[in-house]
Amino acid sequence: MPIDLKISGAVLEKGSSPGVIPLLNAFKSFFAAVTQLSLFAWRFLKEVFKPRYEFSELVKQSYLIGYKSFPLVAITGFIMGLVLTIQSRPTLAEFGAESWLPAMVAISIIREIGPVITALIFAGKVGSGIGAELASMKVTEQIDAMEVSGMNPFKYIVITRVVAATFMLPVLVIIADAIAMYGSYIGVNLKGDVSFHLFFLQVIGKLSFTDIFPATIKTFFFGFAVGLIGCYKGYNSNNGTEGVGQSANSAVVIGSLAVFIIDMIAVQITSFFT
Amino acid sequence: METVVEIEHLNKSFGSKEVLKDINIKIDKGENLVVLGKSGSGKSVLIKCLVGLIVPDGGKIVLLGENILDLKERQLNVLRKRVGFLFQSAALYDSMTVRENLAFPLRDQKSKSKEETDALVMEAITNVGLADAIDKMPSELSGGMRKRIGLARTLILKPEIILYDEPTTGLDPITSKEISELILDIQKKYNSASIIITHDVECARITANRMVVIKDGAVFAEGTFKELSESKDEWVNSFFKHG
Repeated sequence: MPIDLKISGAVLEKGSSPGVIPLLNAFKSFFAAVTQLSLFAWRFLKEVFKPRYEFSELVKQSYLIGYKSFPLVAITGFIMGLVLTIQSRPTLAEFGAESWLPAMVAISIIREIGPVITALIFAGKVGSGIGAELASMKVTEQIDAMEVSGMNPFKYIVITRVVAATFMLPVLVIIADAIAMYGSYIGVNLKGDVSFHLFFLQVIGKLSFTDIFPATIKTFFFGFAVGLIGCYKGYNSNNGTEGVGQSANSAVVIGSLAVFIIDMIAVQITSFFT
Repeated sequence: METVVEIEHLNKSFGSKEVLKDINIKIDKGENLVVLGKSGSGKSVLIKCLVGLIVPDGGKIVLLGENILDLKERQLNVLRKRVGFLFQSAALYDSMTVRENLAFPLRDQKSKSKEETDALVMEAITNVGLADAIDKMPSELSGGMRKRIGLARTLILKPEIILYDEPTTGLDPITSKEISELILDIQKKYNSASIIITHDVECARITANRMVVIKDGAVFAEGTFKELSESKDEWVNSFFKHG
């Protein structure tokens, strides 16, 4: 059936399947959103190295984004290590490989679970916070007020938050990994008796550069994506106060999705080199 | 008299809706022009076009001798420092104290020391009579106080043109009168030109040197407060009767 595609809206000729219209509109909206987000990212890359540098705001945002997320990340990390250890023990015991427990948990956490779970928690807390804050600033004309006072609101608001998110997430992931290993140590000792020294030696002995380095690098991209998407959704918010909720919600959903997509790409790249 | 604002054949549409139709306005240095009109008549769009927050579809806007539609982003930002804008909601930065709000527009002025910045902040807040509120957060202020602080932030760069977007909306009659008188004081003290967007007739009476009435996005009537309040046109007259 011939389809008459119009840029301003998907229109079908008479007799075409009506189910195609929403599909075409969905595709159109998706590609429009990806293009807008790419342009936003391009603007970030163009402006991030240009003065004026908002160092004091960057420090403030790093504190709010990093330090204020620490308790949540720490608790999640501890539970992650403890639960993974408890859940893995019976299977390893079946194969008589209980002594592999610390190494297996360490590799799982450091390569994959630590970065991804921490990034998801980060997207939920920080991404939604940035989205809601910026949308609220937009609704109450605070962003316009910065603009008419001759300041660059993009530099002051967006760049500081994205840079802070990019550099704070790796720090949080390292902390979460360390706390998760401590949780794992407690998990191992629930049904065994392993000294911390021996546990530590077993973990370090099995970890290699290719476990730690790629896992750390990808967390910078996770942080960048979460910060950028939160800022994009908030900065371009519409629909008044209703838009504030929508921005926060979509910042979390799209930010979390972006984490999984980046992780998938990172794993492919890593496996290419190892 | 030196003309500081010149708007010629200004047009703006949103979709099929024509919001501004062939607007022509001139304002001289030290003059207060009140733009009166019903809600949704395009008044706020007009002043947002003047500072580049909304890009018009056609026409010319000359502020302080420069056509803003020809300016690059950086040049526009330099010009914006000479133009103050008081938002309807005051638009104070929620995460900053009053002091930080007032100092914010001075951030780019590296030549100013901390002492000079503090002195300018104190001068601006004293001008609006709220020196006691200097370390408060915006959430601790009443509507009238927020408007005054917004005005102080607008004044800190000593602008040559000030744009007021509904400065008395949402305020009680006494506070509205105080804000209107403050606008008049500012005009006298700084010899600044102002465009005051309002539908508050009392505010117009106090502040206007000249008035423009906008109807459906076009200039419908022009004159002094006295001339317009005595207008024979029923629509114009209804503003003053019901105001």
